[in-house]
Amino acid sequence: MSIFEDRFVTLAHGNGGRYMRELIVEIFARHLSNPELDVTTDAAAIALDEGMVVMTTTDGFIVQPLEFPGGDIGSLCVHGTVNDLAVSGAKPLYLTLNAFIEEGFDLRVLDRLVQSLGKAAKEAGVRVVAGDTKVVPRGHGGGLYLASTGIGVRRPDLNLGLKQIEPGDAILVSGPIGDHGIAVLLAREDFDLKGDVRSDNACVTNLTEPLLKLPNLRFMRDPTRGGLAMVCNEIAQGAKVQIRLNESVIPVREPVRGVCEMLGYDPYYLACEGRVVAIVSADIAEQALAIWKGIPGGEDAKIIGSVEKGKSRVIVQTMIGGERLLEELEDDPLPRIC
Amino acid sequence: MSNAAYWLERIRAMRFSAPVRVMNVCGGHERTITHAGLRGALPKNIEIIPGPGCPVCVCPEEDIFTAIELAQNPNIILVAFGDMLRVPCNAPKTSPRSLEQAKAAGADVRPVASPAQVLSIARENPQKDVVFFAAGFETTTAPVAAMLAQGTPENLSVLLSGRLTWPAVAMLLESESAGFDALIAPGHVSAIMGPEEWEFVVKKHNIPAAVAGFTPESLLAALYSVLQQFQHNRPALENCYAGVVPQGGNPTARKIMAETLDVVDANWRGIGIIPASGYAIADAYADADARKRFALEVDHSRKRVGEMPPGCDCARVVLGKIYPNQCILYGKACTPRKPIGPCMVSDEGACRIWWSSGIRGQDRKISENA
Repeated sequence: MSIFEDRFVTLAHGNGGRYMRELIVEIFARHLSNPELDVTTDAAAIALDEGMVVMTTTDGFIVQPLEFPGGDIGSLCVHGTVNDLAVSGAKPLYLTLNAFIEEGFDLRVLDRLVQSLGKAAKEAGVRVVAGDTKVVPRGHGGGLYLASTGIGVRRPDLNLGLKQIEPGDAILVSGPIGDHGIAVLLAREDFDLKGDVRSDNACVTNLTEPLLKLPNLRFMRDPTRGGLAMVCNEIAQGAKVQIRLNESVIPVREPVRGVCEMLGYDPYYLACEGRVVAIVSADIAEQALAIWKGIPGGEDAKIIGSVEKGKSRVIVQTMIGGERLLEELEDDPLPRIC
Repeated sequence: MSNAAYWLERIRAMRFSAPVRVMNVCGGHERTITHAGLRGALPKNIEIIPGPGCPVCVCPEEDIFTAIELAQNPNIILVAFGDMLRVPCNAPKTSPRSLEQAKAAGADVRPVASPAQVLSIARENPQKDVVFFAAGFETTTAPVAAMLAQGTPENLSVLLSGRLTWPAVAMLLESESAGFDALIAPGHVSAIMGPEEWEFVVKKHNIPAAVAGFTPESLLAALYSVLQQFQHNRPALENCYAGVVPQGGNPTARKIMAETLDVVDANWRGIGIIPASGYAIADAYADADARKRFALEVDHSRKRVGEMPPGCDCARVVLGKIYPNQCILYGKACTPRKPIGPCMVSDEGACRIWWSSGIRGQDRKISENA
């Protein structure tokens, strides 16, 4: 018997019996297999390098639709967690996974999403070492919710954080902003808009690792929910500095800009899933930029602004030479109506 | 960008002996102007005043109250443009005062962005009555008219709160003090209704006017045009958004609107009745009119019906009589997090736009009549 003789997930796949074992073996274990994943034990033993600082983070994924141009919930579940470790200066090593599957979910779609998750994990160099599946009754989930916890290690001498940021520092972004937010929005088909925008959904370790060698790397963050605007506001408040951004150099793709203009969104608040914002001392800004530009995914990197003494706020220098403040996001960005 | 710099340079080279007050009547224009920091980049005696450009802000309190009441009926799904959800009305303290509060209390309220979404909600829920609360100017009302013309599912009706833009401008110009010396006419509205709609500003009132698009360049080009007209006292409606706004607008859309909608006298929140300034669903489409289907009538005995909240100066902000920061509640009692007036709720509202672009303090003032 193969699990695929059924078409849909039923509550029986969550009952702890034969159906559940088949679900785990034929879908999850098949795509996620690695030497440390043993589906028959209750806890996994993992080896970590001695002398390194162990870092951990956790994240939940409820994106709708589950598949969108440039990615899906499976790859997002890897990248979201791995990237949080990466921007903290850690080398991501392991993941644990929770899957909440809705009764009636198409098993072939589940298979495809877990396969994508497995592929993303492999490419990111992380192993899924523990997991759990639950089936929730129909109507209690968006098809599939995922949660992952990441474990990685960091050099003990690495000093990254808001406290390291000083006036005069430069702010870099690794690529165009807002791609993920707009790709998902268009995929929802709520707006009768079509556009060729792919999510930037990607693992960023190839961008973060080379910067870790620089002596005056102060801080890194991935601008996910809340986008560049919220990262900058967090920096301004956390480091008690003023941030000045230069609108004319902040990279935003034309189709993203177009959709934003039509719907009244501000690209600065839109989510990215494969970009890094880095703060470095001014003297190594060009060096950091050159490193990024030489890496796939970093070709469009830019120095977008600077850290100044002043009130904890974010100033945007507009293209025409005016100024405005970039405020914290107030509520869900909703489209304007005319 | 050199384009914007070019216009800016030409505007800066102009000399005016007294302040020139230029009004825009579109939330989208105000957004671009504020986000680009245009006011700060212009000479001090050129004032750009946000006027009646926010349909959410002028939607009558009674309509919001009615929508909330409908939403509380368990057989009804109420759909509305996202902007409308947080607009407060004067319901008694014990009841929900906004659609968002009604939603939190269990009402089935769904924010949408397009009539297509409304149609799919109606089709997916045949056992429910779906009411589409549609507030908007011509640009938003045109797709609603198209939806009516194509035929709506039986369980769908529309609570229409549509408004025309130009009658509010006409009302200002016919009042004792219009409060502005030149007009930037709305691009999207003109794309549908035709730029000719704004001829009266120039011909009847001798006020410079130009239709603008939504980039800083387009707005600066229109601004330069009206300033030129003003300086030489030769008002002539100029179309600075010709790529998108053809003469005559969109005849198909206008025809569908004329077939499905009647133009009626309409109430503007805090401002009052403006003649021939609103859309109502035509009798031929009465089946899809929520006001008729649910026999909705305004209860004039309700406390504070139709009134603005105490202290709220939204009506004068909408009419361009004061800048948002001249309202005593601005940024104090009234912020996007705890809005008192509708102008602080909508992304089209001048107060919301100013506040979220970081305009603080209350020192900016509109000049008296020159």
